[in-house]
Amino acid sequence: MQLKESQVAVLEAASADEATSVDALAGATDLPPETVTGAAFELEEEGLVAIEERVDETISLTDEGTTYADERLPEVRLYEAALEAGADDAPVSMGQVIGASGLEGPQVDIALSNYARKGYGSIDSGEITADPDADPSADAEANALEALSGVDDAPVDSVDVDAETLEELDRRGLLERTESTVREVTLSELGVTELMAGVETAETVGQVTPELLTSGEWEGVEFAEYNVEADAERFEGGRVHILRQTADRVKDVLVGMGFQEMEGPHVDADFWINDCLFMPQDHPARTHWDRFALEEPTHIDDLPEDLVERVERAHREGVGDDGEGYHSPWDEDFARALALRGHTTSLSTRYLSGEEIGEIEPPARFFSVEKVYRNDTLDPTHLLEFFQIEGWVMAEDLSVRDLMGTFEEFYAQFGITDIEFKPHYNPYTEPSFELFGTHPTTGELVEIGNSGIFREEMLEPLGVECDVMAWGLALERLLMLMYGFEDIRDIHGTLCDLELLRETEVTY
Amino acid sequence: MPTVDIDPDELRELTGREEKSDDELKDDLFGLGLEYEGQTEDGAFELEFAPDRLDRLSVEGVARSMRYQYGDARGIHVPSPNSPEWTIVVDDSVPEERPYVTGAVIRDVDLDEESLESLIQLQEKLHATMGRKRAKGAIGIHDLTMLKGSAATEGNPTIEYVGVEPDGDRFVPLDSDAEMTPAEVLEDHQTGQTYADLVSEYERYPAIYDDLGLFSFPPVINGRRTEVSTDSRDLFVEMTGTDQWTIDKMLNIVCYALAARGATLEEVRVEYPNGESGGRELVRPDLSTKTKSVSHDRIETILGIDLDPDEVIDLAERSGLEAEKREGGADGDDLVYVVTIPPYRVDVLHPLDVIDDLGRAYGFNDLEPKYPDVGTVGGRHERSRLEDSVRTQLVGLGFEDLLNFHMISEAENFDRLEIAPDDEVYGAGEPPAIKGPYSEDYTMLRTWVTPSLLMVLERNTHRAYPQNLAEIGFTAAVDDSENTGVAERRRVGAVLASHEAGYEDAKARLQALCRRFDVDLETPPTDHPTFISGRTASVMIDGEAVGVIGEVHPKVLVEHDLEVPVAGFEFDLEALR
Repeated sequence: MQLKESQVAVLEAASADEATSVDALAGATDLPPETVTGAAFELEEEGLVAIEERVDETISLTDEGTTYADERLPEVRLYEAALEAGADDAPVSMGQVIGASGLEGPQVDIALSNYARKGYGSIDSGEITADPDADPSADAEANALEALSGVDDAPVDSVDVDAETLEELDRRGLLERTESTVREVTLSELGVTELMAGVETAETVGQVTPELLTSGEWEGVEFAEYNVEADAERFEGGRVHILRQTADRVKDVLVGMGFQEMEGPHVDADFWINDCLFMPQDHPARTHWDRFALEEPTHIDDLPEDLVERVERAHREGVGDDGEGYHSPWDEDFARALALRGHTTSLSTRYLSGEEIGEIEPPARFFSVEKVYRNDTLDPTHLLEFFQIEGWVMAEDLSVRDLMGTFEEFYAQFGITDIEFKPHYNPYTEPSFELFGTHPTTGELVEIGNSGIFREEMLEPLGVECDVMAWGLALERLLMLMYGFEDIRDIHGTLCDLELLRETEVTY
Repeated sequence: MPTVDIDPDELRELTGREEKSDDELKDDLFGLGLEYEGQTEDGAFELEFAPDRLDRLSVEGVARSMRYQYGDARGIHVPSPNSPEWTIVVDDSVPEERPYVTGAVIRDVDLDEESLESLIQLQEKLHATMGRKRAKGAIGIHDLTMLKGSAATEGNPTIEYVGVEPDGDRFVPLDSDAEMTPAEVLEDHQTGQTYADLVSEYERYPAIYDDLGLFSFPPVINGRRTEVSTDSRDLFVEMTGTDQWTIDKMLNIVCYALAARGATLEEVRVEYPNGESGGRELVRPDLSTKTKSVSHDRIETILGIDLDPDEVIDLAERSGLEAEKREGGADGDDLVYVVTIPPYRVDVLHPLDVIDDLGRAYGFNDLEPKYPDVGTVGGRHERSRLEDSVRTQLVGLGFEDLLNFHMISEAENFDRLEIAPDDEVYGAGEPPAIKGPYSEDYTMLRTWVTPSLLMVLERNTHRAYPQNLAEIGFTAAVDDSENTGVAERRRVGAVLASHEAGYEDAKARLQALCRRFDVDLETPPTDHPTFISGRTASVMIDGEAVGVIGEVHPKVLVEHDLEVPVAGFEFDLEALR
């Protein structure tokens, strides 16, 4: 039969008559013991050898034990110093005896704690007495130390010390016990038979090389086996950012629902960000506390003049026969002021006005997943800049039911069903709804978006003559719902933790 | 979102629904759009409110809405105030920035601790919302018995709204024992300091006088003499502001709240001087109603359901409105309702707002969702497709994709990378600057991506290397040729950080990327302070200099606490188009 080289060596070195230890086989075959063990197990599997295992206990002195074997036990040294000082007659001051003994540091405590235990005398109120009948030469522990001196990893049954004394030395930390598994190999009958019939060495190969392939040699070789269970070196490789991946998922869903993507400036005039949205200029969200106004540059160059006029009229007078405007100031200079957009609805107003890609004919659906900027406090759930999902549908006669149906469809794609619609107020939509959904893990009702039908005061100046319903939500919110992240700052921004990004489970 | 505190016991008492449990109340409140946020120490509900229904900023208004919701009240109730006794005369000296005033007298109030607290809360919430932190409208409520009006016109007492010198008359403001001039109040009194900005630019400060002297310094603080307590029986309410409609509406809300507590309203005359407004004389509160014409067809299309006219009228009455059918229009079958709006409503600008009320009364959550039956074709924007395809390639080349902030500080963007805004190097440029930034970490938009990548490396020195990071990121620079004055560009930035990272590694990946997009790459040597001289090149794609590639300079590495070499490149995304 053909066997691996190491198996052949072990088989030949083993005997049918007596068990040979792995170490002995390693010596005989000149192979490392672990290779021998591996080969022996493989042979056992083939039924060619038998393996017997037993656990051997060996002992050695610790460094401390070796020291006491040389210098004698501290309590013995204390006893001898006490005798010297005459403590067998009358108590002697402990300080004097210790000084004379030459004991130092922790050894003093060790001596004192074992002195009385072993009957060398007693210690009382700082004085020491010595028992004249005590015999250090009969001290079992001292004798054991002497017997073990110079012994290294001796099998426990090979030393002439009783178990009780060994236990005591172990307790005192003077002794080290080591357990090791010893395996012994014996040839089986089948092994003997096969050996007689002749065993050949099969050649093993480590690496597949060009030579091996071109020469055709690969046909006659056996490949060295690897430990295929072992962990390989850690490898990172490239990976799309988890938030980006979520954004792409959202985009996929929306494109699938017939939405077209918008894009436009991050720095924009308040006109597009707020005025076109029928947000009164003295609305609290438009104060400098909430928005990032720009110091440089300060104002937009051009705005479509007639649109500005229509928007101003809507703000001041309202729209329609029965319309009323806001009782708020309106200043074109403020409308022209530049800021980082606080929502991507600025893209919607640009598209709806026809300025971006020309007049849009209904029906139409548009979306964006883009960054917005809010002057908030940075905390685990709020960032100064985050992604907003924005979408709108333009058609004749849209109803609240259409709006609800669209959102149910959208959120269902992310596993969020049972949406609740809470009537809400936005300056630019009526009716308006906050959308609530059940958190997939906590079961809590959480806000997952804001929506509504755009007001006529917004649409009429933009020249839109049919209905438009819209909604928005923070992408980060959806991400946190989907993954259960606790601190958004670990994910998005320069404070991110690469490890977290690397470890986050891929979803699809 | 703003919140209002409502005592559930008071709510039960005012709605007459003693049997409602706290949880039932919470559900009913959610239906009104008032979301339960938590509880105060005194056990009151903290409710989040949307700032349209400002008539629900106190327990009285919330109770009124709930009575409509329960069907215990229907239609419109308008209190009838008694004829005016008191007059507010507006003097010529009133600051032109704050010319308007309104007022009302409230008799026979019965204030206990709770109702006084509720009144104070209502005042505060109105200040915060409609009053725009008192800038647009400010409320002063006084104990009427402490006022002495001179009998200017046949026994009718008068008080005067005037403008005073900042260092003129003295009075004792609330929460103080000392007499102060208005200027001293702004300087030394805590409330004065809070609201000083509202009037400090005025030449003359607004003030209200009775015969005994100055008793109110709007919009800052009232005098102590007329302070309202639980012993007060009759009240004088005055409001000043920058817009008559706004303060009149605020007044209506306060009047309705007090009338709900059983008080009697009494009108007040307001006489403006013979100026631009031509000696206008008003009688307030103005409790007139207004109407909106709402088409039946529009109601049905917005709600998406068919409704009987009787149902519409019923829904209107349950919303605290009144609706009347009017067969109108040229073809005669255009059904329209004339809907009457009560005087405390400030949010009804358009017929659509009425439809929203009808929907709420119907119960929006009772509507059955349906997917709109309109077909459209979806698609991605070209720029976002380009970004995505470049990102896919970068990930394939072994980069970990990042997403960093667009806002940054000057130090991070320039100084720590050894460049200045006006340097003639890639990445420099005048940044769009944020006005009055609150955090010194975020003062401008970044002009390039590499600084953000180095910040991530700096933050992650304890994580395993190699760290090969890339970002296709937004950058911006001031550019007069753009309509917004800002050129917004996407750039492709990449860094390789590991013990063996070098120029070649970066170049190899850049080459691969360019090959895949079939563009021609050249890298002539250049100098850039961020990178090591002699190991830096300009990225030229199809003959145009669009970026930089190199090994990051040790000075920059040490500045970022990095102990491994870093090579990287950055170039304009557009170059791959």
